[in-house]
Amino acid sequence: MKERLKEVVESLIFISLEPLSLEKIKGVLTEFPEEDIDQAIKELLESYAADERGIQIIQAAGGYLFSTKSEHDAWIKRLLRVERKNKLSSAAMETLSAIAYHQPITLAEISALRGVDSSQTLKTLLQKKMINIIGRKKSPGNPLIYRTSNKFLTHFGLSDIKDLPTPEEISKILEEEKNFEKEEN
Amino acid sequence: MENSASYQVKLEVFEGPLDLLLFLIRKKKIDIHDIPMATITKEYLEYLNKKERINLDREAEFLLIAALLIYIKSQMLLPREKPIEDEKDPRQLLVDRLLDYQKIKAASLLLKEKEEKELQKWKRASIPFQSFEKEMDSLEVSLFSLAESFFTLMKRKEKEEAQIIKGKEFSIEEKIQEILAVFEENSFLDFFDYFYEQESFEEALASFFALLELIKSRIVIALQKSHFQPIKVWLRDKAPVKRT
Repeated sequence: MKERLKEVVESLIFISLEPLSLEKIKGVLTEFPEEDIDQAIKELLESYAADERGIQIIQAAGGYLFSTKSEHDAWIKRLLRVERKNKLSSAAMETLSAIAYHQPITLAEISALRGVDSSQTLKTLLQKKMINIIGRKKSPGNPLIYRTSNKFLTHFGLSDIKDLPTPEEISKILEEEKNFEKEEN
Repeated sequence: MENSASYQVKLEVFEGPLDLLLFLIRKKKIDIHDIPMATITKEYLEYLNKKERINLDREAEFLLIAALLIYIKSQMLLPREKPIEDEKDPRQLLVDRLLDYQKIKAASLLLKEKEEKELQKWKRASIPFQSFEKEMDSLEVSLFSLAESFFTLMKRKEKEEAQIIKGKEFSIEEKIQEILAVFEENSFLDFFDYFYEQESFEEALASFFALLELIKSRIVIALQKSHFQPIKVWLRDKAPVKRT
């Protein structure tokens, strides 16, 4: 059965619509030793990376998920008769980034960071399940507290919240902008 | 060469007053840690003056920051008994906010790149299922039966709930955005469920008008398989009807 393990894991990932975590896989495959499962996943990832295939296994939101390769985007859209997938608005992006870096955070805090009332954007992000309400703050008015969700991680291809752009990457962007303006003038 | 006439950019392109302020600081090549308050306040106010009217709903925040700028400027102009070094620079609060905002903005640009890349990968969950669904024969719901369903639903709901006192106003524009947001997640919107979730009659009414507006502008279509079947609202170009 051990040699079959790789196939079993593959089918579990295939059937999942959301990233399948290692704990969940282990929770299902109780009859197998954990090291064997780890090994099977490792081999599976290697074989997908090596073979010439249209699909790949990606790691997002702390789990494994099948996805197509980005090179094939144009044909997939043609098949599905979809023009483009919906992108988030720049207000939504800014709000998400404020939440991602300052979570847990309240609406008032988000609005203060952006200098703009963010209640409407927040509502949209909740509807899109990019953020979750995780409770209420123990301060006057008991405002709701928000956090980014697993869907947020998947949407941006982040495996973990630690994969957010680092302070170094951010300062690099800011430097580049400065230099660009110098050249411009 | 930089005169104020070169700032012919609309206020709407900025995400907010901090965004505008950063733009002005960059244009003037000013060090963010040492903002000349008089210059920047002047620039900022000139900018606001370009607007013929200020929409208080959307642009009150711009005025708030204008007030803050003027306040800081006046703080710096006031003669003091103690030398200023003993005190905190009145600009510090603003600088901190701008630095925080700048980081968020830069991070959001980086995230946008990531999103762009991710959107080219298709996952099973992102496949719009109606593409594979057999085209059903649905009827477009007439305006009257839509209105009738709406009022029947509202009456039913009225009986269930106690009076809710609420001061919130709902704009149709917001509701249009809300309905469109539903379609980013779902292929259709269930008419009954959607209106049943509305908290008050006012809110439901705004939503209903928003829906009518969307139907009128041919963005969405309301369908049902036959009478007494659930009414589903679809984006017109994704609706399961035979293309004619």
